[in-house]
Amino acid sequence: MSEVHHPSSVTVRLIGRVSAICLLVFAIAYGVGASGIEYSFASDPLGPRVFPVALAVILGLLSIWYWFSPGFAEGFPTGPLLARVLAVPVVMVVAVALFEPAGFAASIFILTLGAALIFGAPPAKALIGAVGHAALWWFVFSYLLEVYLPAGALFG
Amino acid sequence: MNLEYLWQGFAVALTWQNLLIGFVGCFIGTMVGALPAIGPINGIALLLPIAYTMGLPAESTMILLAAIYCGAEYGGRISSILLNVPGDAGAVMTALDGYPMARQGRAGEALALSGLASFVGGILGSIGLALFAPLLSGLAIGFGPAEYFVLMLFAFATLGSMVGGQPAKTLIGCVLGLMLATVGLDATSGAYRFTFNEPELGDGIEFVVLVIGLFSISEALIILEHQGRGMTVIRELGRMTAQMSDVVKSIGTTLRSSVLGFVVGVLPGTGASVSSAIAYTTAKRISDTEGTFGKGDVRGLAAPEAANNATACGAFVPMLTLGVPGSGTTAVMLGALMLYNIQPGPMLLVERPEIVGGLVASLFVGNIILLALNLPLVQIFARVLTVPNWLLVPGILVLSIVGVYSAHSSVFSIYLMMSIGLVGWLLRKAGFDMAPIILGFVLGRVMEVNLRNALAISGGELSILFSSTICNVLWCMALLVAILPLYLSRRAKRRIAAKNLAIAE
Repeated sequence: MSEVHHPSSVTVRLIGRVSAICLLVFAIAYGVGASGIEYSFASDPLGPRVFPVALAVILGLLSIWYWFSPGFAEGFPTGPLLARVLAVPVVMVVAVALFEPAGFAASIFILTLGAALIFGAPPAKALIGAVGHAALWWFVFSYLLEVYLPAGALFG
Repeated sequence: MNLEYLWQGFAVALTWQNLLIGFVGCFIGTMVGALPAIGPINGIALLLPIAYTMGLPAESTMILLAAIYCGAEYGGRISSILLNVPGDAGAVMTALDGYPMARQGRAGEALALSGLASFVGGILGSIGLALFAPLLSGLAIGFGPAEYFVLMLFAFATLGSMVGGQPAKTLIGCVLGLMLATVGLDATSGAYRFTFNEPELGDGIEFVVLVIGLFSISEALIILEHQGRGMTVIRELGRMTAQMSDVVKSIGTTLRSSVLGFVVGVLPGTGASVSSAIAYTTAKRISDTEGTFGKGDVRGLAAPEAANNATACGAFVPMLTLGVPGSGTTAVMLGALMLYNIQPGPMLLVERPEIVGGLVASLFVGNIILLALNLPLVQIFARVLTVPNWLLVPGILVLSIVGVYSAHSSVFSIYLMMSIGLVGWLLRKAGFDMAPIILGFVLGRVMEVNLRNALAISGGELSILFSSTICNVLWCMALLVAILPLYLSRRAKRRIAAKNLAIAE
């Protein structure tokens, strides 16, 4: 079932180099952003720019160290497993988009149903689980803990 | 020594409300620890916003979170022993002798003995915390902004050299955390930094959003990848009490590992995974004369369990007295205190003794509750291991969303949490640890403010960072922790090479 495998040293080096470049680019972008911070006054000699600029320089240097010393990495999933991993945030985005308009219970039902199916539950069990989750969490948060959550059009 | 704060703390911890909160925390913590999927940080991250939204006072929230933390250190052993998969990072070494014992039909004995070792570690760690907190707090009262800044550098140096064996990645994690902490309004100059004209970023990235994204969302994706790997729960537990001969045999190791674990916990930045590894290898070096370690030796089981529980208590010392967390989990708890606008540091003991005392006292009470829970009810906790991921993980996702929404009432925060979770997953796949990011984040603002205050005092002269004895001692300690592991690993490599050469000859 699992398609994650321990990567070879070449893959680890590749992951290390790609990550190092990404971090270096991020450090440069952050540093440029930091040096452009606008302010009219500062009550200390350092001001709001120097600390972030220093962090950008340090991150840049550490990225170079990381390039030469990639350490170890876990392999990235491929094929159907990667699709399932990426499906989790998609289901979450749908559920969160419905959170306020459709309400907490409906949104949680969709989230837990989708997530259960992605995690390999048989459809009938996933459906029962989602109904159980929606009911349980609605009761726990709305009545037991009295946490405010949007009721939405369904229950509002 | 003034232990007045502790008696005050017992008065707080022994109220009915806090006893109940402590009991609930211990129960949830043991379950969280037992589940291989989630560790103490996840448990705390998920429950923190709910506790905050429910309006619990700061001391009760701290008692709840501390109970979850200690409970998870107890619970971690259950899956290590029954599943050969550690329930949390501190229980990795427990599996080495715990699982072989379980395979020999002695799972119940292993659970009972490790429960006792956890209790001894937890109680000795609590005593150490009660005694050391006022001492260190008194010492730290003399700290100025320069000393604080160098202290935080020392914490990062300790983390970089002692955690994970990948110093570049650990330090990158710290810097990323520091960078995330710069987002938002700069209180000194009124400048907005990295907010991209988004009003919701004006106050910076919220702690709850970051911690839930990094730990819970990325963890859910990791669980999805790892599910399906062959795991068999050992169901035959056998006798459920420890044999007296085993208790006597392991008592020396337990006491020594407790002290060792506490000391490692006090060091800023290091956590239970480091201490349990050191305790196990020390016990092996001293006691493994017959080559029984790794084959079900009770001392190999007791050492990491005593150490990781003592570490959990030791990690509170720097957090409560210096405002510098001793582990990833205490970094999250430090963030929790900040949610209540409480800045941990040497003055906390003077200004809010009920929080420090209540937390310390609750650790004593919590360890007794945990022993009572873990010996007779261990079979119930073992059942948690059979909950399928398709039922468990959706629950984690619900708690993540509700946790963030309840704390901030904003859908933007949920999207931000999800984005952070995805980046966290990518970083984890590339071999990064999440704890340094949290440590960097919670220390970020304090570190910058202290540097700026120090330089404001000195008129911009950097020499202020080297001007006091405390600063210089901290610089030396930082250098020492940065260099010593490099020297030791080179020496070990040379020894192994010499040994191999001798064998070849």
